Amino acid sequence: MATCSECKKFFPLEDDPTLGDCVQRVVDPRQAYYKAKPVEAEMDASKCSSFQKK
Amino acid sequence: MAQVEIKKGEKELLDDRQYWWWAEKKRSPRLNYLRKGVWSKATKGSSWLPGVKMDLENARRQTRVFKEAPPSEPFIITRARALASVLDNMPVFITDHSRIVGYPGSAPHLLTWICTGSSTLNDDTINDRTGVISDEEMEEAREIERFWKGRTYEDKFVQYQNRKERVVGLMADYAAPGRDIIAMDYVVPQCDWMYQGFDSIIATVEDNIKNGEKKMRESPTAEEQVSYMERIDTWKAMKICLEATIRYARRLSRLAKILAENFETDPKRRQELLKISETCYKVPAKPPEHLWEAIQFDQIVQVAYRLEWHNGSWQWRQDYWHWPFYEKDVLEEKNMTRDEVVEYCAEWMIAAYGFGRAYLRVGREALQGTPGPYVWTMGGVKENGEDACNDLTDCYLESALLARVCDPTFGFRYSAKTRTETLRRVFECIRHGLGYPSIRNDDVLIPNLMHWFGHPLKEARRWVHQACMAPAPDTKWAAPALRYPQPSIATGSKAVSMALFDGYDPLTGMNTGIKTGDSTQFETFDEFYNAWYEQLKATFKMLVGMEHRGRNVEALFFPKPMTSSLFERCIETGQNSALCKERSSLWFTLFVFGDTGDCLAAVKKLVYDEKKYTMAELKKAIEANWEGYEEMRMDFVRAPKWGNDDDYVDRIWVKIYEDLGKMSWSVRDINGQPWPTLPESIAAHTVQAPKIGALPNGRRLGDPLYDGGCSPGHGFDKKGPTAVLNSVGKLDHVGSVRATLLNQRLSPAQLQGEKGFTMWRDYMKTWHDLGINHVQFNMVDNETLYAAQKEPEKYSELMVRIAGYSAHFVEMNKITQDSIIARSVQKF
Repeated sequence: MATCSECKKFFPLEDDPTLGDCVQRVVDPRQAYYKAKPVEAEMDASKCSSFQKK
Repeated sequence: MAQVEIKKGEKELLDDRQYWWWAEKKRSPRLNYLRKGVWSKATKGSSWLPGVKMDLENARRQTRVFKEAPPSEPFIITRARALASVLDNMPVFITDHSRIVGYPGSAPHLLTWICTGSSTLNDDTINDRTGVISDEEMEEAREIERFWKGRTYEDKFVQYQNRKERVVGLMADYAAPGRDIIAMDYVVPQCDWMYQGFDSIIATVEDNIKNGEKKMRESPTAEEQVSYMERIDTWKAMKICLEATIRYARRLSRLAKILAENFETDPKRRQELLKISETCYKVPAKPPEHLWEAIQFDQIVQVAYRLEWHNGSWQWRQDYWHWPFYEKDVLEEKNMTRDEVVEYCAEWMIAAYGFGRAYLRVGREALQGTPGPYVWTMGGVKENGEDACNDLTDCYLESALLARVCDPTFGFRYSAKTRTETLRRVFECIRHGLGYPSIRNDDVLIPNLMHWFGHPLKEARRWVHQACMAPAPDTKWAAPALRYPQPSIATGSKAVSMALFDGYDPLTGMNTGIKTGDSTQFETFDEFYNAWYEQLKATFKMLVGMEHRGRNVEALFFPKPMTSSLFERCIETGQNSALCKERSSLWFTLFVFGDTGDCLAAVKKLVYDEKKYTMAELKKAIEANWEGYEEMRMDFVRAPKWGNDDDYVDRIWVKIYEDLGKMSWSVRDINGQPWPTLPESIAAHTVQAPKIGALPNGRRLGDPLYDGGCSPGHGFDKKGPTAVLNSVGKLDHVGSVRATLLNQRLSPAQLQGEKGFTMWRDYMKTWHDLGINHVQFNMVDNETLYAAQKEPEKYSELMVRIAGYSAHFVEMNKITQDSIIARSVQKF
């Protein structure tokens, strides 16, 4: 099972690597931005459409 | 057309009054990107713009925390934990090119939905038919709505309302929906307290908790001991919110750092991201030391309390509070150039323009075209009475020309001491068709604040706009933590109908008013006038009484820990923001009240003085919506009208205003303060038009009502701008009302060049010397407005002033557009 920690978009917290941010590039119809969403390192990413193996 | 305009030079564009193209040429690539990319949360009519969606993130997390909270947990602690959960988990984002970060939502196109306030708002939100909630999220949204049914602030408050109060509030035809239904505040943050940094405030809170624990056990009386129980909970809740806000800022700091180190390839942008990271790590935990830190501090604070409760406004006086940072960064240490400051200010305006919230359709209609209104206060005088205008004021006024957003707008505090170079820039904003700044008379409004509320002179001089119009000091004991005009009348002139029909509203078929007698039996105009006054007073008293209970419901059952933590007095006393007493600066809005004076004057002249018609005939004509009575209607239309310096009608207006003043002192709030009224209209002059029947000034059902508060009826002011000022100047703007709104249209052709500025400046001096509290201008010609109606896609940037706010003309409904065109263009 793939986990968030194996993804290129996962950035672990320095003081607690079991937690981190999933950082994604979003381009919407008006603007582009980067978005960070808190995730756990061991979360199941097998169904994540934006998963990218490190 | 775009191709033609963009080829023109700047001067040519200015000469052709193509200000939107001029702005596009003048803006930096960064500003152009952000301005074009911003997701406006304004509405077209009452519908959200395409692509704007509801954000479930806040509602989802709040609901989860409340579902799982142990029943024994103090409510205020659950509230704080729910907000903290949002601040800790809601996705954060950084838009390309931006330097000011933080948004009360998880993506730029999403609207914040606070689900805890009002079941009516929740119903309205999930029943929106325009797809604002996606099909995939609808079931979750419904589940959230079901959970909160019976648990919101509104549900608590309803228990203390009788049937009439509830019905009148929900109908929104005569009374405006109150605190329970709209669940929205106007919070005025206390800058001099906040800028010590949240770490320092948290340290004070921790001391208070420690001392409180001790006093709860060791105080000599039982009363004193137990008083600390609730206060300790409140302090603990405040601490949770303040700490979560710091963590939220640091999540943005972390994202900026990740982007700089892993994604960004442009070295210049990388440096900007590192600076964002450094700034968001520092503020709001620590005091801001630079201008960009102060702006970022303010932005984070706005995000935090907007996630707790909807806020309908944005109260700030940037040029005053940020001036020391400007002096340091621009004048002393040269950390920034003046041009960079102008760009920063414009960027902040654009960022603010992107803020929005879920709110009721009736509110969206009344404020169509604006996501706010966010009125930033500029200029005025300092605490010592000296002119407060400075180069940062000028920077903001210049930045508005570039940003060209309809929100935030500026309210400019004009005084006898205002410097000419700043006034020139104020005029340029108006000339560029922004519709703002609105001009406020400091030499009237400062005495007004002292008269009504007893604010000391120095504090009164610290006033900011609490919303569109009402000033409030941003000081420790006066800064408002909640929206004052929760009791308001949506259709002020309806009291005239009530007087005619003995409390009965022929349009709704309901006895909305009180029994004041059969008007056909009134023998004198005074009897009719008194019936009108009694009708108005009865509704006024009912609504302010509801608000007294509404505030108490919040104080006892539904406190706001985040909002409370921003106020020194709340930290000091351990009381939440609704419980803690302040020197309140109340007001009771009389929306679309302006027809009243002309209605009463027409009745006086034609029924009582000239006896041309009987009251019975008038009632019959009005019940028939004047149909079959056109000749008679024209007599009432031709009766003396306000705005022509005609003493016959002006004396009635003056008496009405004097009586509004007397009514205001008849009821006091929990702080012992009076409830002065504030006649104005936003867009209610068209939105409420189908909700009030025919009137004795010749108006038919559905015709637009008078806009503003003391503006003449559309096209009825026939004697020029000075006659308008002479009429409006007869009112007592200090002692009769809190404020009142005057709309004027000026001729852009006549006011060109330096001569135009000189004419306007002289006009403003007359306005000031007549003691009028407010004026705002549209300076767009009819040809442009007609062309925009015909080809809206070519005029998407065209802005107009409505009443209390600006909006893009093409985002207004047709009746509101027509009402702007119908205003008289004043020529000097």
